[in-house]
Amino acid sequence: MSRRTILIALVTALALTLTATPAFGIRLGPEEPHSPNADAIESTYWVMIVIVFALIIAVNAALIAAIVRFRHRRGREAARFAAGRGALLPAIAGFAVLAIAIFVFGVIETVNVRDVEPSGSDGLNANQTAQVGVSGLPATSALEDTESAEGGEPISGSEPSESAPLAIDAIAQQWLWRFEYPGGQPGQRTFSYGELVVPVDTTVVLNVSAIDVVHTWWVPALGGQVQAVPGEVTQTWFKADEVGRYSGRSTVFSGTSFPAMRSWVRVVSVPEYRQYVEQLQRDLTNAQDIISQAQQEEQGSP
Amino acid sequence: MTPPPTIAPARPEIVTRRIKPPRQAWLERATSADHKLVGLLYVGTSLTFLALALTEFVLMRVQLIAPENTLLKPEIFDRLMSAAPVTFVVLSCIPLLIGLMVYVVPLQLGARGVALPRLNQLAYWLYAAGAVTIYASFLYTVPETGTAALPPLSNLTFSPSNGADAWIAGTALVTLGFVCFAINMIVTIRNLRAPGIAWRRMPVFAFSSAVISWLMVVIGPIMIAALTMLEIDRRFDGIFFEPGEGGAPVLYQHLSYIFLTGAYLTVFIGAAGAISEILPTFARKPLFSRGAALACLAVVAVLGTLAWMQNMYTAPLNSGWTIAAMAVALALVLPIGLLIYNWIATIWGGTLQLRAASWYALLAISTMACGLAGELGYSVIPVGWALDYTTASQGDTLYVLVGGGVMGGFAGLHYWFPKMSGRLLGEGLGKAALVLMTIGVHLYVIPMFLAGLEGQPVDTWQFYEDTGTDGYNLVASIGAFVLAVGILLQLTNAARSWNHGLPARGHDPWGGATLEWFALSPPPPHNFDAVPDVRSGEPLYDIRESIARRERSFEAPAARALAAPPEPAEPTAAVISEAGETADTGRREASEQGPGGTPGDGDDGEERPVA
Repeated sequence: MSRRTILIALVTALALTLTATPAFGIRLGPEEPHSPNADAIESTYWVMIVIVFALIIAVNAALIAAIVRFRHRRGREAARFAAGRGALLPAIAGFAVLAIAIFVFGVIETVNVRDVEPSGSDGLNANQTAQVGVSGLPATSALEDTESAEGGEPISGSEPSESAPLAIDAIAQQWLWRFEYPGGQPGQRTFSYGELVVPVDTTVVLNVSAIDVVHTWWVPALGGQVQAVPGEVTQTWFKADEVGRYSGRSTVFSGTSFPAMRSWVRVVSVPEYRQYVEQLQRDLTNAQDIISQAQQEEQGSP
Repeated sequence: MTPPPTIAPARPEIVTRRIKPPRQAWLERATSADHKLVGLLYVGTSLTFLALALTEFVLMRVQLIAPENTLLKPEIFDRLMSAAPVTFVVLSCIPLLIGLMVYVVPLQLGARGVALPRLNQLAYWLYAAGAVTIYASFLYTVPETGTAALPPLSNLTFSPSNGADAWIAGTALVTLGFVCFAINMIVTIRNLRAPGIAWRRMPVFAFSSAVISWLMVVIGPIMIAALTMLEIDRRFDGIFFEPGEGGAPVLYQHLSYIFLTGAYLTVFIGAAGAISEILPTFARKPLFSRGAALACLAVVAVLGTLAWMQNMYTAPLNSGWTIAAMAVALALVLPIGLLIYNWIATIWGGTLQLRAASWYALLAISTMACGLAGELGYSVIPVGWALDYTTASQGDTLYVLVGGGVMGGFAGLHYWFPKMSGRLLGEGLGKAALVLMTIGVHLYVIPMFLAGLEGQPVDTWQFYEDTGTDGYNLVASIGAFVLAVGILLQLTNAARSWNHGLPARGHDPWGGATLEWFALSPPPPHNFDAVPDVRSGEPLYDIRESIARRERSFEAPAARALAAPPEPAEPTAAVISEAGETADTGRREASEQGPGGTPGDGDDGEERPVA
C-alpha cells in the first residue's frame, strides 16, 4: 500500500467515526443552548474544537511521517543539518498569526456572551416586579461595585425601566441553592430552594453568592459557569427561549455531598410564573402566620 | 614506657588519626551527599509514589465505574481525591524529573559534584519528610479538602480534622524541598560548568533544569506563603482567606494557581528538556535549532506562569484580568509550537533508531500535544466558562502530566539508566508498557472529555444515571486500569533491570553527544578524571569526528605533514558543531582548514583527553 492510500484510509476512518457518533448518542459539543449567551459559548466551542483537532492531527501526522520516512535503516546516513538564520521565521509567523486570530475571536465572543440582551416580546414586563432587595446580601449599591465573571459591567436591576431585567438572587450553601425572587416585603423575600422558576423569553440576571464554601452556578443550556464565593456577588444572566426544565450542577468540590449540589431551572410562561410567585408568597405568609401563632402560644403559656 | 614498635612503611604514606570503618551500603546511600546517590533516592522515592498515586486513581475509578455507586464511602473517596493529585504531581512527576536532573546535570556540565551538596541532600529529605507527613495522616485523620484545599472549605469550620493540617504542612515541606533543590541547581549551573560550556552550548536538559529552578524559586515561596496563611487561618484565628472579616477566599485561588500552573509547567519543561536530549542522540542529528529550543523553554516558563488566571475564568475577577490572562495563555502557542516543530525537524533527515527511549520520547510528544492543544481551547474565555472544572479539562491536564511526567520521565529513565546502573532498562517490556500506557491514557481521556461535555464535574464521588454518562465512565475506568497496568509493568521492569538488566555496551551505549557519556557507568564519586575541552553543544560528537578524521588521514601521514592540501572540511559538520553560534562559524571554519590553526582552538586540542 502506498503512503497516500494509508493516509486516505486514515482520514476516511476518522471522518466516518466522527459522523457516526450521533448515531450512538454521543454528543461532540456542549448541551443544546437555550439562551443567547449559551449560543455564543457553543459557537466559540465549535470553532476552537476544530482548531484543536487540526493541531492535534497535524502534530501527530508530522510525527508519524517523520518516523516512517526517517527511521533507522542500514546504510543510511543522517543529514546533519541545523536551522540556518531565519529558518524558523515562517513557523514563528504562522504561530503568531494563529495566536492573534484566536485572541481577537476570543475577545469578540467573550463580549458576545457578556452582553445582556433585553427581554423579548413574550417576556415578563420586568418593570412591574424588578426590585433588588436587601436580604442577607450586599445592598444594591454594593452590587453595582461588584465585578461579575460573566456580566462584564455590573448589571443593576434596581433602576426601573422598560427593559429592566428580572434580578434574582441565587445563594449557594452546602448542598442546596436558595433562590430569592424580587417583590415581597423588605426582609421577607419570596424564596424557594433547589429549583429556580423563571418566565420564558425574559432576561434574568442572577446575583450569585454563597454563605459557606465556594460553589459554582452552572446550567449548561443557559450559559457558562460562575463561582459563588462567600463574601462576593458575581453576576450572570440568561434569557431562556423555550419552556422546559434544565439541569445544572456545581463543579467546585464543596465537601462530602458534593455530587448532590445540583440545580434545576424550570422555564414557564409569564402567567405561570406570576402564579408561581404569588403561590410562593401565600405559602410563605401562611407559614409565617403559623410560626408567629405558635410563638404567641408559647409566650402565652407559662 | 617504651613506644610500641613501628614498622616502617615500604613507601611514604599519609595516615589520618583514625580511618573510618566502611559503612553499610544502604547507610552510605542514604546519608551520602553525592549528587548521584541523592538523585537515585529521588528517582526511587518518586517511582514508589507513582505506584501509590496509581493505586488511589484506580480505586477512584472503581468507585466511578457505575452510576450512583456506593462501593466506597464518600469520605473515603474524598480522602483519595485529596491525596491522589498531590501524590501524582508533587510527589512523583516533579521529583522523578528532579531526580534525573540531580543525577545527570552535573555530569552534563562536566562538574565533579554539585555546588551545595548538603543543601541538595536537605532538599531530598524535605521532600521525603513532606511526603511522610501527608501519608502519616492516613494513620489518624485523613484530609478531605480536595485537590488544592480551597478555603473556606479548608477552614477549621468545614474541615475540623487534623488531616488538613497534615496536608498543608506536608505540601509546604515538599515545596520547600523544591526551592532548596532549585537554589543548589542554580548555583551549580552558574559556577561549575566545565571550561567552554557557555550558556548557549549547554545541554538542553541542563538548561531546562536551570529554567525550572528559577521557576521554583519564584513559585515555591508563593505556595509556601499561601499554605502558611491558610494554616494561620486554621489554627491561629487568622483572617487572610476569611470572608466577611476582610479576607478573600479568591486570594488563595490566585496564590495556589500560580504554584499549580508552575508545577504543571515544570513537568512540561523537564520532559521537554529530556526529549531534546533523546531525539538528537537517536536521530544521529543535532537539534534543529538549539537556540530556539533554549529560548522557548525560558519563554514557556515565564508566559505560562503569568497565565495562571487562565484557570480562574469562572472566579469573580475583573474582566480586564481575564482577557489579559487569555492573551498570555494564547501567546504560549508560539514557544510550545516552536518546540514541537523543532523536535519534528530534528527527526527530519536523520536516521531515527527506534529504541524504547526514543519511543517514549515520541509518544510523550504526541500525548502532550493532545493536552496542550486542548489547553489552547480552554484558554478562550467562553470555552473555559463551559468546560473548566469538568472532567474534560481534567483529562486534558492528565494528557500533559502523563505525557510529560510519566512518558517523558520514563524516556529520560530509559536514556540515562545505563549511566546510572551500567545496565539497560528492559527494552521489550518497556515498549509493551508504553503501548498499554498510550492505549490507556486515550481510553481514559476521550470518554472523560465527552462526559465533561455532558457536564460531569471533577472530584465528584458519584454521578447520576440521568446525566447519560455511565457508558463514558465505564470506558474511562477501563482506560484507567489499562494505564495503571502499563505504568506498573514499567515500574516492575525498572526494578528488575536495576540488578538483572542486560549490561550496557560500554559507557556510551547510545552514542550520545553530551559530557555525561564521557564518564564511566556508573560514574565514580568524583565523576571525571579529566574533562574534555568543549567547543560546541556536542563535545563528544566533536571528539568522535576528529578521531574519524585522523583515521581517514592516517594513510598518508607524509602528505599531511606537508600541510599542502587542506583537508576538505565537511561543511555540514562545521555547521553542526556551531549550531546556534553563527557568529563563531567563520573563525571555526578557518581553524578547521588544517592543523595550522590557532593553538588550542584546532583539532589537536580536542584529542588530548582521549589519548
